[in-house]
Amino acid sequence: MKKILHIAYREFAATVMTKGFIIGMLVLPVTIGIIVLVFPRMINQTPPKVTGEIAVIDPTGQVTEGLRAYLRPERFVERREASSRQAAEAAPEAVKRVVASSPGGQEAIQRQVAATFGEVPQLDVVALDPGTDVELAKVPLKAAGSSNPAQAPRRLALIVLHPDAVVRTAGKERFGGYDLYVRSRLDDRVEDDIRDGVREAIVEARIQASGLKRSEIEALTQVDRPQSRTVTETGERATNEVLNTLVPAAFMILLLISAMTSSQSLLTTTVEEKASRVVEVLLSAVSPMELMTGKILGQMAVGFVVLALYGGLGIVALFSFAMLGLLDPVLILFLFVFFVLAYFSLAAFMAAIGSAVNEMREAQTLMTPVMLIIMIPWILWLPISREPNAPLAVILSFIPPLSNFVVLLRMTSTAPPPMWQVGLAIVVSAAGAVAAVWSAAKIFRIGLLMFGKPPTFGTLIRWIRMS
Amino acid sequence: MADAIVLKNLTKTFGETVAVRDLDLVVPQGALYGVIGPNGAGKTTTIRMILSILFPDRGEMTVLGRRTALEAKDRIGYLPEERGHYKKMRVGDFLAYIARLKGADGPDLKQRVRTWLDRVDLGGVETKRCEELSKGMQQKMQFVTAVIHQPDLIILDEPFSGLDPINQRLLRELVIEEHRRGATVLFSTHVMVHAEQLCDHVVMIHRGEKVLDETIAGIRARFDPRSLLFEPMDPEADLSPLKAVPGVQGITRDGGAWNLSLQERVDPAQVIRAVAGAVAPLRIELRRPTLEDVFVAIVESSGPQGGDEHTRLRASLRENGHRPEVRR
Repeated sequence: MKKILHIAYREFAATVMTKGFIIGMLVLPVTIGIIVLVFPRMINQTPPKVTGEIAVIDPTGQVTEGLRAYLRPERFVERREASSRQAAEAAPEAVKRVVASSPGGQEAIQRQVAATFGEVPQLDVVALDPGTDVELAKVPLKAAGSSNPAQAPRRLALIVLHPDAVVRTAGKERFGGYDLYVRSRLDDRVEDDIRDGVREAIVEARIQASGLKRSEIEALTQVDRPQSRTVTETGERATNEVLNTLVPAAFMILLLISAMTSSQSLLTTTVEEKASRVVEVLLSAVSPMELMTGKILGQMAVGFVVLALYGGLGIVALFSFAMLGLLDPVLILFLFVFFVLAYFSLAAFMAAIGSAVNEMREAQTLMTPVMLIIMIPWILWLPISREPNAPLAVILSFIPPLSNFVVLLRMTSTAPPPMWQVGLAIVVSAAGAVAAVWSAAKIFRIGLLMFGKPPTFGTLIRWIRMS
Repeated sequence: MADAIVLKNLTKTFGETVAVRDLDLVVPQGALYGVIGPNGAGKTTTIRMILSILFPDRGEMTVLGRRTALEAKDRIGYLPEERGHYKKMRVGDFLAYIARLKGADGPDLKQRVRTWLDRVDLGGVETKRCEELSKGMQQKMQFVTAVIHQPDLIILDEPFSGLDPINQRLLRELVIEEHRRGATVLFSTHVMVHAEQLCDHVVMIHRGEKVLDETIAGIRARFDPRSLLFEPMDPEADLSPLKAVPGVQGITRDGGAWNLSLQERVDPAQVIRAVAGAVAPLRIELRRPTLEDVFVAIVESSGPQGGDEHTRLRASLRENGHRPEVRR
């Protein structure tokens, strides 16, 4: 046992204490950090200040004023304030506490809102004569592509309302609308504001033309969307729909990354030991089974490091957003159980392949079925998480080593499987892992000292059947 | 004294190829045995079976009194033919790691590593990475892995290959020291001269079968060619008086010298005195059989060898295909 531990420690240290591993481990969090923190700063979200005119041909004569009112600078300010209020109310409690406790928190939020929306546009709404030729009205838009803002014409957009935009033509069910022409390179956020403004003005005009009260209609059509609450044995909490979708994915990704990183590393070190011929020195000191066991245990410790590192990051993230309570601790326990089972199966495959080939290039062919096994949970992630108790999910729960990924996915979904299925899946996975290690040990023993032509699958099976 | 290695009817096949066939071998404790034979004879396969790295198809064996070497691995030191190490690992760490796997863990391990590195003229390389050492240095480091745990049985597979003459001598001395310490030494080589220089007992393997298992002295007695090598002081001297010397059967040219074959049951010492009296010699010596001669004689006695086959066989028994000078 002591020798196995010596091998395991060397395997662990030789993998973890390398620049490659440390860089590899940092790549994911650093990439996420760049996406979350750096990219937004590099992308200038603040829209440029927009100044210009919006020409309107309004044969109804009832929309232009509403649009002008909507696009007034003070109305922009009002709408922005309402948006930031809504965002603040929807923020997690932890964020609210941080903002409230921070001396400049409120000001910082306002600065961020201002930076996000940019300066208030100065838009003049110009009403053209209803009989104006549309083609002539478009001409001022055409030169707007100039890169020099000083040469750009003031006209940003032309709105041509249909005559029946406010009052339906007799015999027709639908109202008319409007046509929108814009200059090139008009900021899409300004275009959205124009659309919203026209829509708002048309609706207002239609309501007035119908003799109805807008406030009454809004009251009739408004039904508040309630925040659902998840009821559990230990109490109830606000349902987080986003988290409900992300947790199964996060668990499966965590399981895959940790199991793949460590088993892939096992393949690499086995091929290296065989290629460098150090394996014969090792086999003069330990048996093939001791060598394989030590290597598998060493790389399992590597997998635990990966699991602890990324899992820990996830838990810290949940904690910082005060969502830690949404995570069932039992699931973390099961994550470790399924990691061990998945890892042993994958590691057995990798050790067998590593011992059978002479170099990494040769391993690629034999790796194909293993990679397919890895891909299946990715492909079936959405169907399984949406229908966690469908026949497909149940059947895959009992096919090792897929069972480890599928059952964990089901357990973290909104409709977890019955415990008997979880228990049976663990038993089946454990049996699969034992069979995989047993077969791998046979291939390992023979393959390590076989050089020359890489074996085929048929050869590997023959080695397994040899006594 | 118990035997260190006992092999009975050991056979190993790889597919259609019989690598070792019905091999019997007994190596007494404390012996220094050489397993010799050309490349592909089955030496490495035999050694791997002794070490339980490979398992025989049939036959029995005991190693250090155990049914398998797996039960006695900590008492065995092994230098494989294919040298191997972890390229990025530091020399000291690598030696300590292998020593620990051999059960030689303890507070003095670091010191023992340093001592052994000094003994093989590698002092100061402890913190270097294995890949930074030259091939010869790596080979000496590898030798240390085989002996650092003071094994009772040392098995060396082609230990001298790739070493320069100075390091070959150093390694030979270290092997002799280990033998004096009491270790049983079994080493394989395809270079007969190395076996002649080191062993007191030789086992010859050819095409997977043992063709000779005898002491060096026994081989000399058995394969005495009974001939003299003679070189006259005057290259132009008349050698016809030599034909009249009692006991000389015939004279043939042998490169720059002459080969004088002797009659059966004559005393070589008397003939040497008579030859020296007949023609003044620059050099006169009794020819001794080399292991190469013995091996070739045995192989040729088992079947006729063509000219090319004979040359190839001789070349395979020499280092780089050249016949080195024999020194004892």
